[in-house]
Amino acid sequence: MLSLNRVSKQYGNFMALEEIDLEFTQGVYALLAPNGAGKTTLIKMLATLIFPTKGEILWNGDDIIALDAAYRDLIGYLPQDFGYYRNHTPREFLRYMAAVKCLKREQVAQRIDELLDLVGLSDVRDKKMRKFSGGMIQRVGIAQAMLNNPRILILDEPTAGLDPKERVRFRNLISSLSKDRIVILSTHIVSDIETIASSVILIKDRRLFAQDSPGSICQQLNGKIFETDAVDDLDIPHLLLTERQENGQTITRFASEQGSGEARSVTPNLEDVFLYVYRDEER
Amino acid sequence: MNEQQKNASINRILDQGLVEPVRAGERISSMMRELGLRFIFWDTGYSLFFAAITLGLAFALFILTPSDYLASAAVAVAPLLMLLAVSFAETSERLGGLYELKQTFRYTVRQIAAVRMMAYSAAGTLFTALVAYIGTEGEFSFLSLFSLCTAALFACATITVTLLHRTRNGWIPAGFTAIWALANLGLMFLLNDKWELLLRGIPVGIAALFAAGFAALFIWQLSKMLREVNRYVIA
Repeated sequence: MLSLNRVSKQYGNFMALEEIDLEFTQGVYALLAPNGAGKTTLIKMLATLIFPTKGEILWNGDDIIALDAAYRDLIGYLPQDFGYYRNHTPREFLRYMAAVKCLKREQVAQRIDELLDLVGLSDVRDKKMRKFSGGMIQRVGIAQAMLNNPRILILDEPTAGLDPKERVRFRNLISSLSKDRIVILSTHIVSDIETIASSVILIKDRRLFAQDSPGSICQQLNGKIFETDAVDDLDIPHLLLTERQENGQTITRFASEQGSGEARSVTPNLEDVFLYVYRDEER
Repeated sequence: MNEQQKNASINRILDQGLVEPVRAGERISSMMRELGLRFIFWDTGYSLFFAAITLGLAFALFILTPSDYLASAAVAVAPLLMLLAVSFAETSERLGGLYELKQTFRYTVRQIAAVRMMAYSAAGTLFTALVAYIGTEGEFSFLSLFSLCTAALFACATITVTLLHRTRNGWIPAGFTAIWALANLGLMFLLNDKWELLLRGIPVGIAALFAAGFAALFIWQLSKMLREVNRYVIA
């Protein structure tokens, strides 16, 4: 089990995260927050790129600073800006990554072939990566993160810049990888995690706001989300969420403590929660 | 920490004993065994090529330096092999886009950089001996010039590692190399022969003491870089 105990991170006078308590066992954990809320700071602490100013991060009860290389052997990491060698093929690149990860040479070739199969890049395993799409590069990134069969897979905004088809493919891949490990991914795109996250972590005002399953988090807004086609007639305090077109009408979704007139109550989704929780945040 | 975690922690300690910190020598030895020279110096070919070209130009200028300025030119040129190799390698790693990722591996990119710095400073010492040999003339002995140049080499190496530690900025070696070259040129042109005479006036014992002191400081800083990953973060 990976746990954070009262973890704070301060840069000079700026407090990026404060008193974060979290526990990770197995499954997909989604860090959902607007840009600048501290997601990447938290991800970088879990990936040992930075360390807490206060508090501790423990793996099975041991501080990850003391575990040192033993902890780094447990993790697979895909950074937000994943660099790669454009003139290498995926197979060459993964061979190099395997070498610097100190993997046993006799197992590397088979492992690379398995991973390229898993991420759907077998057909292009010997093609130079310079012509690869963003989605294909991200899949190479996932393959390198999986080389050491990590117990903890850490993905920082893995779907940023991907088209919808590639995003769906990526979601399915992450879901399949979470069967026997901890997958921690940060995103501000709700649809990326709505269907695959076993737990959603919300950070607000530098602190942990909520950690629960998507269903339980959505339940907190039960009875507070409504839809109407006559938003101008609303005479109650409300927060506008989203709009959509339906049969030539504009249907407006809003949050309010009580219903009003023709407005009908609807089941809250994660996007509603996101917009409701971060209603005061600048974007 | 909850009760379950405390118990798990106690059990692990009882099972395995206390975790002893790894010594720098053990770390280097395991890196050599597991990574090998090939992967420690992987992808440094281009950076070493550009470092060699720049060093060649600087060395040519040194050979052409009038004999009245040989000591100051030797002190300026002596650390350049180490400084240029570190600068180009560090900048190349940064531009490569894999720097952050490599920091999360068993042997971090900073630890690999520390081993490379050791190798570059060893090569730099040989280069310093060559510079001192060429620069030795008249009453100023080889030992005096070699001590001065070695002190300059390890002072630069110590400052580079210390700046990397304190500022966490990968561009520091390149910046410091430029400052070193410009500062020495400035001293030579602004103070004329006064700088040369000042250098030649330093007793060999004092220069040797400084060289040994800076070398010890450099080794200490490198060993910290190899052992204390949490103090050498990159972000």
